[in-house]
Amino acid sequence: MNMDAGTLARPEQETRELSYAEAIREAMDIALAADERVVLMGEDIGVYGGAFQVTGDLVHKYGTDRVIDTPISELGGAGVAVGAAMTGLRPIFEFQFSDFATLAMEQIVNQAAKVRYMLGGAVSVPVVMRMPAGSGTGAAAQHSQSLEAWFAHVPGLKVVQPSTPEDAKGLLLAALEDPDPVLIFEHKLLYKMKGEVPAGHYLTPIGKAAIRRKGTDLTIVATSIMVHKALEAAQTLAGEGIEAEVVDLRTIRPIDRETVLGSVRKTSRLLCVYEGVKTLGIGAEISAMVAESDAFDYLDAPIVRLGGAECPIPYNPDLERAAVPQVPDILQAARALAGERV
Amino acid sequence: MPVEVIMPKVDMDMASGRIAVWHVEAGARVEKSEALFDIETDKAAMEVESPASGTLHHVIAEAGSEVAIGQPVAWIYADGEAVGPRPDGTAGGTNDDHGPQASASDDGMSGKARPPAPSSPEEPAKRTPEPAPSGVGSALPAALSHAVPPRGTLPRATPKARRLARDNGLEIAAIDGNGPRGRIQAGDVARHLEALSRPETASAAPLHWSPEAGPLSVLRSGKGDKTPIVLLHGFASDGASWAPLLASLPTGHPVYRIELPSHGRSPRRRIASFAELVRDMRQAFDGLGLQQAHLVGHSLGGAVAAALADTRARRIASLTLFNPAGLGPEINGPALAGIARATRAESLAPWLKLLPADEETITSNYVRSVMLARADPALRAAQADLAGHLFPDGVQAFSIAAALDRIELPTRIIWGKRDRIIPWSHALRAPGRISLNLFENAGHLPHIELAGQIGILFADMK
Amino acid sequence: MPDLLPENTPFAIARYTPDELKAALRKMYLIRKFEEGAEESYTRGLIHGTMHLSIGQEASAVGACMALGDADKITSTHRGHGHCVAKGADVSRMFAEFFGKESGYCRGRGGSMHIADVEKGNLGANGIVGGGLPIAVGAALSAKRLGTGAVTVCFFGDGANNEGAFHEALNMAAIWKLPVVFVCENNKYGMSTSTERSTAVRRIATRADAYAMPGVTVDGNDFSAVSEAMDAAVARARAGEGPSLVESMTYRWRGHSKSDRNRYRSKEEIADWMARDPITRMADMLVEHGIATREEIAGLEAGADREIAEAIEFAKTGENPKVAEVTRDVYTEAVQ
Repeated sequence: MNMDAGTLARPEQETRELSYAEAIREAMDIALAADERVVLMGEDIGVYGGAFQVTGDLVHKYGTDRVIDTPISELGGAGVAVGAAMTGLRPIFEFQFSDFATLAMEQIVNQAAKVRYMLGGAVSVPVVMRMPAGSGTGAAAQHSQSLEAWFAHVPGLKVVQPSTPEDAKGLLLAALEDPDPVLIFEHKLLYKMKGEVPAGHYLTPIGKAAIRRKGTDLTIVATSIMVHKALEAAQTLAGEGIEAEVVDLRTIRPIDRETVLGSVRKTSRLLCVYEGVKTLGIGAEISAMVAESDAFDYLDAPIVRLGGAECPIPYNPDLERAAVPQVPDILQAARALAGERV
Repeated sequence: MPVEVIMPKVDMDMASGRIAVWHVEAGARVEKSEALFDIETDKAAMEVESPASGTLHHVIAEAGSEVAIGQPVAWIYADGEAVGPRPDGTAGGTNDDHGPQASASDDGMSGKARPPAPSSPEEPAKRTPEPAPSGVGSALPAALSHAVPPRGTLPRATPKARRLARDNGLEIAAIDGNGPRGRIQAGDVARHLEALSRPETASAAPLHWSPEAGPLSVLRSGKGDKTPIVLLHGFASDGASWAPLLASLPTGHPVYRIELPSHGRSPRRRIASFAELVRDMRQAFDGLGLQQAHLVGHSLGGAVAAALADTRARRIASLTLFNPAGLGPEINGPALAGIARATRAESLAPWLKLLPADEETITSNYVRSVMLARADPALRAAQADLAGHLFPDGVQAFSIAAALDRIELPTRIIWGKRDRIIPWSHALRAPGRISLNLFENAGHLPHIELAGQIGILFADMK
Repeated sequence: MPDLLPENTPFAIARYTPDELKAALRKMYLIRKFEEGAEESYTRGLIHGTMHLSIGQEASAVGACMALGDADKITSTHRGHGHCVAKGADVSRMFAEFFGKESGYCRGRGGSMHIADVEKGNLGANGIVGGGLPIAVGAALSAKRLGTGAVTVCFFGDGANNEGAFHEALNMAAIWKLPVVFVCENNKYGMSTSTERSTAVRRIATRADAYAMPGVTVDGNDFSAVSEAMDAAVARARAGEGPSLVESMTYRWRGHSKSDRNRYRSKEEIADWMARDPITRMADMLVEHGIATREEIAGLEAGADREIAEAIEFAKTGENPKVAEVTRDVYTEAVQ
């Protein structure tokens, strides 16, 4: 499925089937083994193994000095990671839920994102923050949000959203090599998803989207778990004679303009699908980007956005499903868009 | 001071109007409220009344010229008033002093034509051109310079369609939109280009016919001193088609059957729009010199009749429309094209059979006689050309809805409910004060199919 | 040598060489003159934004940094000019930064509130009250993990001690025994709100008890007292015994910022604190203990005046940043 993933994996690298969580853990394992400066920080990431068992048993391999359980102090913990990154460490800070990053906004937005600029480039902040995000777990309004667009609004931060185990590992390793703060939004429902993952060290470039499926009739730009929903919809659409091109954005800051614009120039129709609240979300940025570019002159139908409903994530499972785009929504929107073919 | 005659705004989104004809010559006397000139907009044609009594001078907008609303077109001098230079201080010229077109504004004026307001202070004769934008534009992305369409009413089109049109040197307005709400999409442009690239198309005229001059053919019958009846036939038909109804009409009325251009014995014309067709027909109607007439039209002729009534209300005693065109977009395009194109009875018959409710009424003899009347290839080509302009892509490209809204004279619509050319439900779009007679057992030709019953409807005609 | 000194010899006199002490006084003058020069430049319209002056707090800044070397780190506050000078910064580049010049420490991007000198270990002033506290703990974590032996001194004001970041940072530093010294410069007011009105405890240093670390309160206008408390705290940190909290009681002579109308404190209170001028006290101490003569001290002051005058000249003639480079240094490598 990874047709144009743009990974830098060596061709001879063997692959194994790993879950998304296992792939992330493998990336952290490789980094901890290779670089003394790498430390993991977060709540209950030690013997507990992380709320979603992503760090697993790494604490037994690397000890509590490098796999550090923090107190429940999101602001302080994130700030410690920022300070450590400024002074030589390569911390990977895990928020137990990305919702809790709201407690640490000060350190992420005022400090991590701005220190380099405020100091005229005299220092950089190579911190990696992992953000378990998204709905679908019945955890309701304060444990299910998709806040990535908030952070993508801040110059100085980089924001990625891997959708596959391969990218989850490759993007984490790339984030560790990046001199600037990188926030990784991992969808909680993807943790158990399996996929082929190259062994050893490789990088998935930050700022590069992947075309997951080629098509000619419309472009679906999707992020995170929505990539899989878009692919499922695309398969159904193909049976109806509608060939959708599915672009997995992978990085939402900086956005891969060329891949998105190139696809829109080809298909002339754009559907944006993302789980974050629709208004002022990623889709607005993608739409504006297309509207402001020469790709505008290739549009043959209005742009359509499918995003989260304008409400907190509800508890009831039916309501919870209804609050984020689902495959039938994508099908309906895509058919309407493609139906404008004349 | 002479009274200024301006191009009035008669439609909400009207920016300019075209002077079709002057009814009063420069130097001639005119009475207040007398018809002064006809205007045509992209939506309607109508008569403009004189704002004052006096003598017409300085006619600066000749027939055929396009004038922005609010701009003067002439002045009327009171009796005894000395005729000086043009009161707007501009020397000479007729069409070279058009001001900028005023933008449309919702002033609540719709429906009835507004009498031209003489020297209305809200409508200054001259408008200052909008100043050019400052340097802001230079900071805009280069892509924007060609992406921004000029202000004004433009057809709805997607960016891609506009780009394709631009790249191919096409006017977007010349392309028919088939997308949602008539939006022009890339496919429409592609089809348009393809049509242009074909040496001969349904709408393109063959080389072996050339337009003819001369008046339209008028068949006269009936005698008496009652109000004359004027009959206008439909597309691909001719004056002879009224024969069954003639027998059922009340006696004592002179009857005039005007044949549409490129139909019957009328000259072949190149007519590019409904407005042009109406103009031609209006000339023929005016040529009859009738003070009063009952106007009756069928199908396309019905639409023309409505448009005529809109501009000649004073001279129309009543209006009767059989299955009129112009009340909605739907029309049986293949049937129209098929009839226009058919070169022999075998290809004509299946289409003719769609016309009545009962196809048995279309006998082979009838088909042969119709084909005979259509034997001339130039006539068929001219009709195909006309169809291409009036019914592009099988859609009625014109509307009489606004005209019907304005018409106040006694009007009746007669329709067969089994019409397979134009849906009878279009009739429901007419204003409530228009009478509606629906016939269950008639199709597109009720005046032929049920001529006897229909005649009763005309019984009380004075 | 200490055993040859009289019993009541101040700690600083016993601990530091005459040259070190004269250099410390010179730095205190430099801070005073820097602040006055900055104020003067602001009044003349040469400085773009506001500033928070630390006149009256010089002993706290210089005394706290006495035990530090270039490898050690500090994090600073919005009232950070003094910390920056104390940590060894070049006042010319500081002024250049105030004037928004490319030759400034932050190339004109940071200004007064983000003044930093990373090479000398100053990780930066901070516009967010309490913003530097977790960062200092992070720097200490780095030092411990990487074994650099560096100590981080974290400056903050009395206002920050009520921020959550203060409590989270002190707790983490304590549980991980990190080499960090928290220096609370208590100048009695968080903007206009006095510590009596804002803080539940009378002495902020007692909050150290909550985080199982030593906490002391010292006279922040007494150079020797500050340096003594810091000497012990830095030594403890370097020895791997964990963090300390030092509360340095001091006073800003000027308002909170240039927009302060001083409505919350009396003239008498200000005069009282000005009578306890830390520079006068330091000079008197050096004269009293025969470390420096009045003439030498006058020479130090004159030297500071000259250095500041030259620094302002340097700043005035500096290049402005290029407007086209407004987004430079947002990322290490430019991205769209």
